Amino acid sequence: MAVAATHVGGGIADHVHPEPQGFIRRYVFSIDHKIIGIQYLITGFIFLVLAGLLAEVIRTQLMNANGGFVSNNTYNEVYSIHGSAMVWLVVIPLMTGAFGNFVMPLQIGARDVAFPWLNMISFWMFPLAGLMLFSSFLMGAPVAGWTEYPPMSLQGEAGTSMWCAAIFLVGISSTLTGMNFMVTILKMRAPGMTLTRMPLFVWAQLATAPLSMVATTALAGALAALFMERQFGVPFFDPTKGGSPLLWQHMFWFYSHPAVYIMILPAFGMISEILPTFARKPIFGYKMIAFSSVTIALAGFMVWAHHMFTSGLAPFMQLPFMLLTFVIAVPTGVKIFSWITTLWGGKIHFTSAMLFAIGFVVLFALGGITGIFLASVPTDLHLHGTYFVVAHFHYVLVGGSLMGIFAGFYYWFPKISGRMMNETLGKWHFWLFVAGFNGTFLPMHWLGFEGMPRRVAVYDPQFQFWNRVESVSSYVMTIAILLFFVNILVSLRRGKKAGPNPWKARTLEWQIPSPPHYYNFKHVPTVYGLPYDFSEPLPYRGLDDELTDAPAPVPAGAH
Amino acid sequence: MAVASLPQQHAEHAEGGVDRLYEETRDLRLTGFLFFLFSDVVLFSAFIFAYLYLRNSGQSWPPPGIARLDVAFAAWNSVVLFGSGATMHYALENWKHGNFNKYAGFLIATIVLGIAFLGGQAYEYTHLYFVDKISWAGSGIFGASFFTLTGMHGFHVAVGVVYLTVLLLQSIHGVYTKDKYFGLTAGTLYWHFVDIIWVVLFSIFYLI
Repeated sequence: MAVAATHVGGGIADHVHPEPQGFIRRYVFSIDHKIIGIQYLITGFIFLVLAGLLAEVIRTQLMNANGGFVSNNTYNEVYSIHGSAMVWLVVIPLMTGAFGNFVMPLQIGARDVAFPWLNMISFWMFPLAGLMLFSSFLMGAPVAGWTEYPPMSLQGEAGTSMWCAAIFLVGISSTLTGMNFMVTILKMRAPGMTLTRMPLFVWAQLATAPLSMVATTALAGALAALFMERQFGVPFFDPTKGGSPLLWQHMFWFYSHPAVYIMILPAFGMISEILPTFARKPIFGYKMIAFSSVTIALAGFMVWAHHMFTSGLAPFMQLPFMLLTFVIAVPTGVKIFSWITTLWGGKIHFTSAMLFAIGFVVLFALGGITGIFLASVPTDLHLHGTYFVVAHFHYVLVGGSLMGIFAGFYYWFPKISGRMMNETLGKWHFWLFVAGFNGTFLPMHWLGFEGMPRRVAVYDPQFQFWNRVESVSSYVMTIAILLFFVNILVSLRRGKKAGPNPWKARTLEWQIPSPPHYYNFKHVPTVYGLPYDFSEPLPYRGLDDELTDAPAPVPAGAH
Repeated sequence: MAVASLPQQHAEHAEGGVDRLYEETRDLRLTGFLFFLFSDVVLFSAFIFAYLYLRNSGQSWPPPGIARLDVAFAAWNSVVLFGSGATMHYALENWKHGNFNKYAGFLIATIVLGIAFLGGQAYEYTHLYFVDKISWAGSGIFGASFFTLTGMHGFHVAVGVVYLTVLLLQSIHGVYTKDKYFGLTAGTLYWHFVDIIWVVLFSIFYLI
């Protein structure tokens, strides 16, 4: 709100206010969406390393059937925080906070998001929430997994309340970002950019923002109730006092099922930008891809109870939830076929970004197929709570979301930093990661079929061989991610200068210098068409000055 | 980019030349504020869902050993709150027409009625606690759902009273003009929102 005061009379107008000069205002408490996006990237990657180390603790423990690396209770703490951190501190902030903040306003031709101050506040809640979450190790971390089902979560140590508070805080941050993005996309697009001329990444953010806004608020209610019950004894979930543990599952999954789409829809958007750019071919089925994102977002609110088929849900409730879940496969399939058709007959350039994008399509499809097994009640009764579930959601979250984040990072790194990533290291990163990933999670499918339960620190010795294969593969995956970070650091210092548009991409962010100026555009452009028609001239007017020495717009208050 | 080095001939752009695209911040703020209210509705809905779910999982309502709520008192208290919604409406209308004194009178009436509603709620709570022996944590799912939801609503009313007081002081100090008064619009929307939530809460706790 305070932003309006800085440019009296102009309103958001063309949103040029003087660039702050001090280090603190420029890089720490910045209100520039690009800096905030980079802050989210760095913080998210730090939490990725921490939560990844926890994953390696899990895999090291499971090297031997009788465990022995950490105590059983520590093991429970480790996988609970691993899951919570990966969902709330890594994937969601990177998808919306990092890429959404950096890329989306540039793609719609805006100078910033609608509420830059709110954006800064949203960001700073996020590292604070992360510290709170990891600090729960000091007071007895939660042990009931990232879902924290009561009654176990009611009996957990003090860290469980800290978990509630941390997730509540990061949830508020996500809700505020969702509102900010909604207003930005609906109200601040450059002239001529109608909804059906928006890049597909923006469509994905538009489908995600209401999910962050609505679902996360419902989660806040559930967390507040759990916190009140733990701290003040107010009975919501404790069955001995008339409460219902099932109520938590409803409230939690009403958020957490839409949350899986918060974690994947932006990746769909990234893939829809990367595939046409490197296949040099218009995206196939632009409107279908855009509307299927919205359909997935809406349908995502109506399927939450498919996580609860073994919880004693009434049978008449099971059938509609099963069928609705199958229905989500339709818009998802529309996307996958559109992507494949985009590649068909294209002139494909296998850059690192493209490799990750194609890897995304393949691995996400595999994860989607196992989702059908889990959505159908008869097979779910057998597979629920086994490693098959672990395999399924790691295929969609690591093979899907994380691969999407890598693809997006390789794609937009030249825009963010002005330098190219090292392609050789990038390819090593890709192939090692894919090999390690499949070695880690593929065997979990049959281990789950054979009945290996998840979330247990020790297991039947007959499963030991495949568990060792998984653990060794997970180290390969770690090495691949290490190469990725080495690549970032090397490329930041030594990378080739990127120039404004190294990929010859057509969305707006590539028509301005890399990294973009503080004010993004010298003149806000006018948009005449879709960004995907590779044979046509660019559908923009007013960008002629961007790459010349023409003077920048004068900040309000400077005259 | 140093501000001082910018050439002066481009000043016309920032002053309202061709680059002025987003006419008013009011539009952005109003949309943002409506989204905020919407997410607040979701927060209430989560707890309303919890209440209805718990209520339907038991045999009878109110649960055995819990006295019925005093509907008549709560109905009078509701009238107070709905009345404050009407005075708030007239406060904003008078501001739009430039009648500052009437505006201030209606706004003060709204604040007073809001405080009266909170007083009524405080009376109801103490009565439940001391006479009927019903408490937040000690009366099972009834206490949990009733005090959590009405308490959340009461908190919203209290925040509203503070917010309206701030708006009153701001308008006395000339922060708002006849054309620029987004804060007053937001305050009115918020106050009506609190009213509407109460319609729902009154229905589900006292009427059904």
